[in-house]
Amino acid sequence: MTWYDSLLQQLADGLVLGSFYALVALGYTMVFGVIKLLNFAHGDLYMTGAFAGFGGLSLVSGVLGAGWLGIFVAMLLAMLAVGCLGVVIERIAYHPMLAAPRLSILITALAVSLVLQNAALSLTGGQYTAFRTDLGFGGLSLGNLFISYNQIVLVATAAVLMIALELFVSKTLYGRAMRAVAIDKDMCRMLGINVSAVIAITFFIGSGLAAAAGTMAGAYYGSIWYFMGFLIGLKAFTAAVIGGIGSITGAMLGGLILGLLESFGTHIPFIGSEWKDVFTFAILILVLVFKPTGLLGKSEVERM
Amino acid sequence: MTMRTILKLIASTAALHLAASGPVLAQDEPITIGVQAPTTGSEATYGKDMLNAIGLAADEINAKGGLLGGRQITLVSGDTACDPQQSVNAASRLASQEVVGVVGGYCSGATQPTLKIYGDANIPFVIVAANSTQLIPANPGNAFMINSTGADQAKTAVDFFAGKGIDKLAIVNQGDAYSQDLANLTRDAWKAAGHEVSAFEYVNKGEQDFSALVNKIRGSGAQAVFWTAYYADGGLLIRQLRQRGFQGTIAVGDGSNSPKLFDIAGRAAEGVYAFSNPTADFLPAAKQFISDYQAKFDTAPGPYAPLAYDGMQLMAWAIDKAGSTDADAIIKALGSADGKEWLAGPISFTPQHTLARSNFVVLEGQDGKWTRYQP
Repeated sequence: MTWYDSLLQQLADGLVLGSFYALVALGYTMVFGVIKLLNFAHGDLYMTGAFAGFGGLSLVSGVLGAGWLGIFVAMLLAMLAVGCLGVVIERIAYHPMLAAPRLSILITALAVSLVLQNAALSLTGGQYTAFRTDLGFGGLSLGNLFISYNQIVLVATAAVLMIALELFVSKTLYGRAMRAVAIDKDMCRMLGINVSAVIAITFFIGSGLAAAAGTMAGAYYGSIWYFMGFLIGLKAFTAAVIGGIGSITGAMLGGLILGLLESFGTHIPFIGSEWKDVFTFAILILVLVFKPTGLLGKSEVERM
Repeated sequence: MTMRTILKLIASTAALHLAASGPVLAQDEPITIGVQAPTTGSEATYGKDMLNAIGLAADEINAKGGLLGGRQITLVSGDTACDPQQSVNAASRLASQEVVGVVGGYCSGATQPTLKIYGDANIPFVIVAANSTQLIPANPGNAFMINSTGADQAKTAVDFFAGKGIDKLAIVNQGDAYSQDLANLTRDAWKAAGHEVSAFEYVNKGEQDFSALVNKIRGSGAQAVFWTAYYADGGLLIRQLRQRGFQGTIAVGDGSNSPKLFDIAGRAAEGVYAFSNPTADFLPAAKQFISDYQAKFDTAPGPYAPLAYDGMQLMAWAIDKAGSTDADAIIKALGSADGKEWLAGPISFTPQHTLARSNFVVLEGQDGKWTRYQP
């Protein structure tokens, strides 16, 4: 394998990984933008989404098969279900705390994370669940470079979801309301915007995107378990910070950058794969030290 | 499932106990044996399997009239979750319940810290599955390993790869005591045999994407990959290796020889080799055991069930031989195990309390299940 092939291969792999990070990072950043909360339960919504997608696929696979069509429908079902779960969590756990000090709601988020994780632990007995699909191993072979069809579909789906979100936020009435609420909640209330509804929509979309990533990850990697959301939650958070937390395009960019960094980080000479995560989180620290607002974030006086 | 099995176990031993007992004398007191196994977490499949097999052995002993002239065995279980911190809690709890002995021990990383606890409390411990060589220096003298150690497995692995005509080998572990130990031992033995280790890698537990690692392995020109850790992540790695067109030999250590590997890796697991402790299917003496186990638990015994069953039987044998529940006498009796034939073969111990022979076999994945590999 020449260095050139190897570079392209890592670029392709980095894009796949980055798509997952970006989809999950979007939820972090949207919620932070609207209610200034680091929703630590977000990684677990990704996990819940994977299980919801698994359930959805067992429902529809009889009719639609377990190929991409079945997975796509299962993914939509999972997005709907986990989106609603996100709204319920916001109503029950976060809404009553909105006026409380910021630290209290942060702790509530950690509690929600533990509730979701342990609920999944007791429901599955902590076992790995095989996510069986009919996806093949086929792909495009260009010399030593190999890109599977699954990877292509996955990145394309992620791209479509992100473009749809961008259009929703920039072009629609609700999107505009969302941006307005992010800037000044009280002013919005005075102008007659239903702030609670906007927050609910934000949670619905953010959780739905996490569920989409979870279902796709389950189908792509082939197994799911209750703890799968932890590491990706942490990394998506890193991606959101790198891109500038609160910024939607920043989250997409941060996710892709992180995916590429990880993919290339494994190949730095003299540094083995065991240093991959050290590398990733060192970047997080560097960003926080030299550009605390992230690549695309706007500076703001008060930060958590 | 776990709770139900445990309850069933308690209910059946209790029922037997009631049936056998007249007026309660000290002589009729049950003998409490601790079972240390991961019944939740990533290795729960193996843990429940061990618990089942140990329960089956205890029930059989109780049905034959118990130990020391009529005392019944009662089991208490401690869940280690394959986690060093949780295993310390579980072991402390077992020790405080004044168990006569402990049988179990899966996941060397989670077993190692419990050795000191049982050592301090002077409780005889039969380790049925955990087999890292790092357990040997940590053993205060009360523990006995009835599974062959990592060194034996490394030797089996080196012989196997060399027999396949392989020169460049990639070894991947997960950084825990068990898989790292096996990886290091195999690397050293492979180099000593004059071959090349083209990649020696490590992955995080719970990581799902191994694409960068797969590229590195392919780029290193490895002809074979040896995964030394557990099936859940191993299944993912095998899948991604084959998805990316790795054509070479893939073999996995005994932590990965579960039937569940086929669930996770799917078709990619076809033709994968595994080094295995003696599993029930490959033991001529285990026919009765398989049908009893199947009848009782409605599922086939997993890879560590015979060893777990033997562990309980060996402990019972040692208690009877010691003639009392005195810890020192039981430890002495265990040490004198004389090569008597058990389900998984003869048991006798080296001066370090490890099994005095290698019991590894090579398996091959065919049509979604393991079959004995014949070179």
